[in-house]
Amino acid sequence: MYIMNKPIRIALTKGRLEKDTVGLLEKIGFDCTTVREKGRKLILPISDANLEVVLAKANDVITYVEHGVCDMGVVGKDTIMEMGGSFFELVDLGFGRCRFALAAKKGSGFYGGYDIKTIATKYPNVARAYFESKGMDLEIVKIEGSVELAPLLELSDGIVDIVETGTTLKENGLEIIEDIAPISARLIVNTVSMKLRQAEIEKLVSLVEANL
Amino acid sequence: MKRYDLITPEGTKDLLFDECLSRRAVENRFAEIFKSHGYSEVVTTGIEFYDVFNKGSRSIPQEQLYKLVDSKGRLIAMRPDSTIPIARLVATRLKDAEMPLRLYYIQTMYENNALLKGHSDEIVQAGIELIGSDSKKADFEVLSTAMETLTAFEKDKFRLEIGTIGFFKELISKLDIDENTAEEIRYLVSNKNYPALNDLLDGIGNNDATRALKQLPRLFGGEEVFERASKLFSDEKIEKMLSDLRFVYNSLSKLGYEGKIIVDLGTVNRVDYYTGIVFRGYLEGIGEPVLSGGRYNKLISEFGFDAAATGFGINVNAVSSLLLKSENAPRTKVSDAIVFGEKENVLKAVAYSNALAKSGMTVENSLFETLEETREYARKKGISKLYVVSNEVKEIDL
Repeated sequence: MYIMNKPIRIALTKGRLEKDTVGLLEKIGFDCTTVREKGRKLILPISDANLEVVLAKANDVITYVEHGVCDMGVVGKDTIMEMGGSFFELVDLGFGRCRFALAAKKGSGFYGGYDIKTIATKYPNVARAYFESKGMDLEIVKIEGSVELAPLLELSDGIVDIVETGTTLKENGLEIIEDIAPISARLIVNTVSMKLRQAEIEKLVSLVEANL
Repeated sequence: MKRYDLITPEGTKDLLFDECLSRRAVENRFAEIFKSHGYSEVVTTGIEFYDVFNKGSRSIPQEQLYKLVDSKGRLIAMRPDSTIPIARLVATRLKDAEMPLRLYYIQTMYENNALLKGHSDEIVQAGIELIGSDSKKADFEVLSTAMETLTAFEKDKFRLEIGTIGFFKELISKLDIDENTAEEIRYLVSNKNYPALNDLLDGIGNNDATRALKQLPRLFGGEEVFERASKLFSDEKIEKMLSDLRFVYNSLSKLGYEGKIIVDLGTVNRVDYYTGIVFRGYLEGIGEPVLSGGRYNKLISEFGFDAAATGFGINVNAVSSLLLKSENAPRTKVSDAIVFGEKENVLKAVAYSNALAKSGMTVENSLFETLEETREYARKKGISKLYVVSNEVKEIDL
């Protein structure tokens, strides 16, 4: 083993996953003051763990880890399913739980009739893969904001979206047709870092697993 | 109208000056290494019939291929890999050649990658194929050459990882599952997706094979991996595989690569043509494996000629990009001198600069009308010597 003093760089998805991850790191016993009092800084050292935290948007977490400029990352399974990419997905962190679901207007009978359905979604790859596995051809419209609007405005027959409680759906007269996949935060690792810095990464991973 | 005539396609780039020097330096060094071990160069065609990459163990997902249509309407693919075309070449024009065959290549491959993720679609790969031998000696020759190649420019921050595809294939064969499930397990093992792999295998059963498969992604590291593996699952075949691999591991370590060799029994490449030992090389600073290879004993027979083979390829672009950043990178040199001749002496000046060039200097001809302009140009470019050719030659230090 050759000595490497360089810190392990871990990219966190800004927002809730960031807070949950920091909570986990503190539970392990690391001093995360720098991250808690970050101001506008985007790269933050946690010196007692020889870690360097990078804050990024979910999609970018995957990009940074894939390219190896960050060794590890914490990102939702939703982003992984939509973006794909090659990295190791080591741990289901258990927080950030929700699910992908197919929803449509209440009582609309989504699967009825012979016509090709239109689905509105922020996650075209997830939607495409799901219906492909059912052997169903369909039209997908990518929407950036509140996807629930699309069926109400009759742009689409249904939506594929992340659902936590289902309240938004209910309040807008939509219902869940079926669940597509459960979602939670994942710890991902660059394939080369895993090999070049195995001991350090495995130590951190076992600490994480022990404190979930 | 949108103009595409000023930019290059996604995933490609022009190389300038020092970039070219680094790339050629890497190519030349690799060619020297390959030639010194008796390998001969082959160049396969840049475009091939789609069918070459579309059958049996050599199917490359079609969305990753750049495709064209020829004048008869047949589907053509731009070369996405060199091993498959070389297998075709061996099974056709080289099938009567004296075995073993030692071939090397340095050529461009094209891969249609997802847009805007910063991946290259055009990659130069260098590599060797050792054909006609199923011996451990052949595996070892290819591995030690791979090591030599990997360490040609980086003496410290590298790792070579060895594994065997057989361990996974043997475990999978113990399960009563269909092809799709097997592929899903392979995918999860290769992504080291522990949680999903556990869930999937729990649904299949709880026996020695599923328990071993669950641990498979974790079976990487140093020599201790071999003991961990044989404790997990053991039969005659696996014992032999592991002892063969351990022999290779120890032999490589003895070559002076102690601590630089790692084992990963969870290496289960997407490429299906590997049948035995597989390996990958890593360089610090490059986020993906730069070298990959292994034994492929069935591929050539898919083209109708039965021959065992092993080989590897290394990403020249990745190695050049590291070289370019290092102190040892070859740099573009300023010309040693510039030669200027007044109107009536133009021909004389050209002859003089040719003579200087022959003597080993880098010499430019001044294309300017006046000596002043020539001096100004030389000053901007940093050229330190000026020769003015008239009846006699005057040498001026700038």
